[in-house]
Amino acid sequence: MTKDSGDSLYRKDPKVYPRDVTGKFASLRKLAVFALLGLYYIIPWLNWGGHQSVLFDLPARKFYILGLTFWPQDFIFLTLMLIIAGLSLFFVTAVAGRLWCGYACPQTVWTEVFLWLERLVEGDRNKRMKLDKSPWNSNKIIRKTAKQFIWISFALWTGFTFVGFFTPIRELGHSVFTFQLGGWETFWMLFYSFATYGNAGILREQVCKYMCPYARFQSAMFDKDTLVIAYDEPRGEPRGGRRKTDTPSEKGLGDCISCTLCVQVCPTGIDIREGLQIECIACAACIDVCDQVMDKMGYEKGLISYTTEHRISGEETHVFRPRIFVYSFLLLALVAGVIYSVNQRVLLRADLLRDRNALYRELPDNMIENVYTLKLINMDFQAHQYQIEVVGHDDMILHISPELSLEAEEVGNFILRMQAPSDAGRGSMKVDLRFSTLKEPVIERTVSTRFLLPFD
Amino acid sequence: MNIEHPVNRRWSMRQRDWAVVFWIAFLSAAAGAFVLFGLVNPMDMVSAWADEYSIGVRLAYGLAFMFLYLVCLLASALTMFMIRTGPSRGHVKGKGRRSIPSVHDPSQSNPDLGDEDWK
Repeated sequence: MTKDSGDSLYRKDPKVYPRDVTGKFASLRKLAVFALLGLYYIIPWLNWGGHQSVLFDLPARKFYILGLTFWPQDFIFLTLMLIIAGLSLFFVTAVAGRLWCGYACPQTVWTEVFLWLERLVEGDRNKRMKLDKSPWNSNKIIRKTAKQFIWISFALWTGFTFVGFFTPIRELGHSVFTFQLGGWETFWMLFYSFATYGNAGILREQVCKYMCPYARFQSAMFDKDTLVIAYDEPRGEPRGGRRKTDTPSEKGLGDCISCTLCVQVCPTGIDIREGLQIECIACAACIDVCDQVMDKMGYEKGLISYTTEHRISGEETHVFRPRIFVYSFLLLALVAGVIYSVNQRVLLRADLLRDRNALYRELPDNMIENVYTLKLINMDFQAHQYQIEVVGHDDMILHISPELSLEAEEVGNFILRMQAPSDAGRGSMKVDLRFSTLKEPVIERTVSTRFLLPFD
Repeated sequence: MNIEHPVNRRWSMRQRDWAVVFWIAFLSAAAGAFVLFGLVNPMDMVSAWADEYSIGVRLAYGLAFMFLYLVCLLASALTMFMIRTGPSRGHVKGKGRRSIPSVHDPSQSNPDLGDEDWK
């Protein structure tokens, strides 16, 4: 389609070539990248308590997280941790805006690394633009191939590490190098590598602009006291080029020298001087570069800065506001609750299942017997022997087979035969069974069940 | 045509959106449940710890379906949200978008900003 003037109506957004930036916030982001990716790539290689420090063992349905083992019964804790993570995001957003987007989101973090690798091979913004425009000569072929090789290797390593959170990574590494990788492991490794390559290498800012739900609903968490990145328009305008020795007021200019560096460093390709935009991921690259320019020109820093809507309009900014209190209260309560209940966990679980074939059996010596299947789970990291007693019924006899001992993290099935004198009660009576370890440490759990007797 | 008064039994956009979300999620969950339970018996899926609540086979089917429905609803509703709050029609042609920021060499109009300062 064309307009009357002959211009194409179809407007293609130009590819964004973010310029390298240094400064306070760029250093902070580098620190975040190193810390977060360092954790991601290193954690699966570390062991804790004889286990991989973080391992989501799906086939065995056991999640190992830093010395804690979560069993299917502990699913509630994982749910709560997810809620805590979500709530933390709300809290951080309300206080400091899109801090997550600019420094901690995997999309940002991996894009940063991919950009860095790209810069390493193809050079900074201008060189990359020139290279893309140049015809395919040997230089371009070598650089593009080298970049793809590094990108793909890094993506594969990322995919490998990802699978390493679900399959013991040392064994996985061994099978990779001996070419004995299973089909599913290969699939997930390639799938995650592809996702990394696609998101961080190709899609980049498009993910934030079009695909990210958080970017859409974060505005609901914003208010006039939330930190945003903004351009000081009254101070900057009218913008224009000048010499360092010029006095802006004499030339009728503001402090913005129209160098367009803030646009060139922007990873989403926007002009922050046009106001707050949904595309802004608050990475503060424009602040860093503008501060350097201001320094160079001998002007005061902060033409673009972290600020709040209230501050821009000359009002006071309030850090402590009702929503902050609500979020922090909820967060504290949840964190405390999870820590408390994880500590209170009993590392032994017993499930009694009544034998469905017979309600009870009358034995020759005036005894009544009930049979149960006992499922006992030792959630501790060490082997234990256990004993059972019936609470408050000295006349009851228990027979258990086989012997009640479990290896570390073992699930055992036992046959429990419980006998009581036939005059102990009528119909059904509640009995409490106390399971406890024979030796230290004391791990104890009491479960209730019903003991059935004749009615007459 | 009188636009001020809504025509009887015509739904607003929001009503249509939610109706579609609920209905499509239901269809997907139903199809998913058919395929899933054609392959597995829900009683084999629940682990022993659920036994103490003695979930019958009907309740297990019901719970599994409700779970599928919930997941489908979530996906469906989020998709509706993303589309409704996203760029409008014509976006690709530049409608409703700011003009592309123009950039130039910083030293072009500011001779004191040599490019060497910015690598």
